[in-house]
Amino acid sequence: MLGVLGRFRHRRFRRDLSAYVDDMLSERARRRLEAHLDSCEACRQELAELRLTVDALGSLPMAEAPRSFTLAAAPVAEARPRPAARRLEFGLRLATATAAFALTVVIIGDFAGLPGGGEEEEWVRGELYSSTQMTPAALEAAPAETPAANETPAADETPAAEETPPVLEAAPTETPAADETPAAEGTPAAPEAAPVETPGAAGITGTYGFSNVEPEPTVGAGVSEEGEAEEKALKGAEVEEEAGAGAAEAQAVAQEEGGGLSQEEVVRWLEIGLGAGVGVLVVLWAFARLQRNIGNRP
Amino acid sequence: MAIADEEQLVRSSRKGDLDAFNTLVQAYQRQVYNLCLRMLSPATAEDAAQEAFITAYRRLDSFRGGNFRAWLLRIAANICCDELRRHRSRPAASLDAALEAGSPADVPSGQAGPEEEALRRELGRHLQQGLATLPSEQRLAIILRDIHGLSYEELTEALGCSLGTVKSRIARGRARMREYLMARRELLPGQFRHKE
Repeated sequence: MLGVLGRFRHRRFRRDLSAYVDDMLSERARRRLEAHLDSCEACRQELAELRLTVDALGSLPMAEAPRSFTLAAAPVAEARPRPAARRLEFGLRLATATAAFALTVVIIGDFAGLPGGGEEEEWVRGELYSSTQMTPAALEAAPAETPAANETPAADETPAAEETPPVLEAAPTETPAADETPAAEGTPAAPEAAPVETPGAAGITGTYGFSNVEPEPTVGAGVSEEGEAEEKALKGAEVEEEAGAGAAEAQAVAQEEGGGLSQEEVVRWLEIGLGAGVGVLVVLWAFARLQRNIGNRP
Repeated sequence: MAIADEEQLVRSSRKGDLDAFNTLVQAYQRQVYNLCLRMLSPATAEDAAQEAFITAYRRLDSFRGGNFRAWLLRIAANICCDELRRHRSRPAASLDAALEAGSPADVPSGQAGPEEEALRRELGRHLQQGLATLPSEQRLAIILRDIHGLSYEELTEALGCSLGTVKSRIARGRARMREYLMARRELLPGQFRHKE
């Protein structure tokens, strides 16, 4: 036990040897170390070797500069955007990526139409009704338990009942037990589903499909992908800033010294402008779609 | 150089006085070049040193007073680290550089006899090789502390880290250098061969 403790203390003292050489230990730590050195041959040896190493490093000659590094002309001042401007730029570049991706999805889905996407949309609608519309329906059904059985035939009349088999087909099977309260959850869903689904089926389905299901994961993925790239760029910029200089910067210096806007600058401004423009377009489009949806609601 | 002069020169440089800045360059170019030389190969050290002064001129506005040498060496150190990162795929570069002709280890002292001179060169070569085996942050700390003689306070500025981190990097770097040299004690001058 004492041996382990001794080894632990010994290791701690060894760690202090470097600071001791530079006289950077506190008075107390220095006295403790010196007391240890009196009794520890290994530490004394190590201290001597450490001093030799430090002296040897100190004796290394300084080479003469091979030439003068004075500047013949003042380098072009660095146009470093302020932090707020950098954040705005990051936002706009992110918007470019997001908007471009969203636009692609919209163009493919809305104008060209989703080939074979109909089934998926129907299924999606079924899912949506089953998860979202059921609960208010159940609440409505709660005060009137018995009419549930009468309403169920209406479910058969609605085309939605046939279209959405996984959820709505279950409704008739539950009807025999409709008198019982728990079953009421399933049955009123059908009549609820019918009016919502039928009116604007053609107009709404596309947007429903997109606004509720498609954009979330896809745009999210787009953002995360682009976001990663952007983050890397931002981190890079920060590292460069901290570092005082970076690889890209050296090129930028060379390019800027040549005069005029560098290619990278042009691309950057193009990207920012495009981001702002496309962003506004997408917002306008989304707003117009929302207006139409509200107009189409019964 | 007197500190008062330096502050004045920095102020003038900020206002675009290139001559004032070039006076600072002349005062520190040897230190900046030697740092680059110890961190990189002689071939890249020159470019790195030049880049450090260009960057320093462009970043003068970010200098918030304090120790100009530490600030300048920090810029040079970061350029060296960037360069090392770029060439991480060939880590032997620094080791090779240590053996290249014109390495700082080969600078003659002009006082010692031929045998002593040969041993000194041998020691210099081993030190440079030993430095090249250290992780870059430890190497940087050792070079700035033991070769350039920066104080711990200057080191916190030049390395951009806390005093505790500075102490730890120096201690670890020195311990590794000691091990490296002691493993080759037979090849080194007399003082390394005798045990106390």
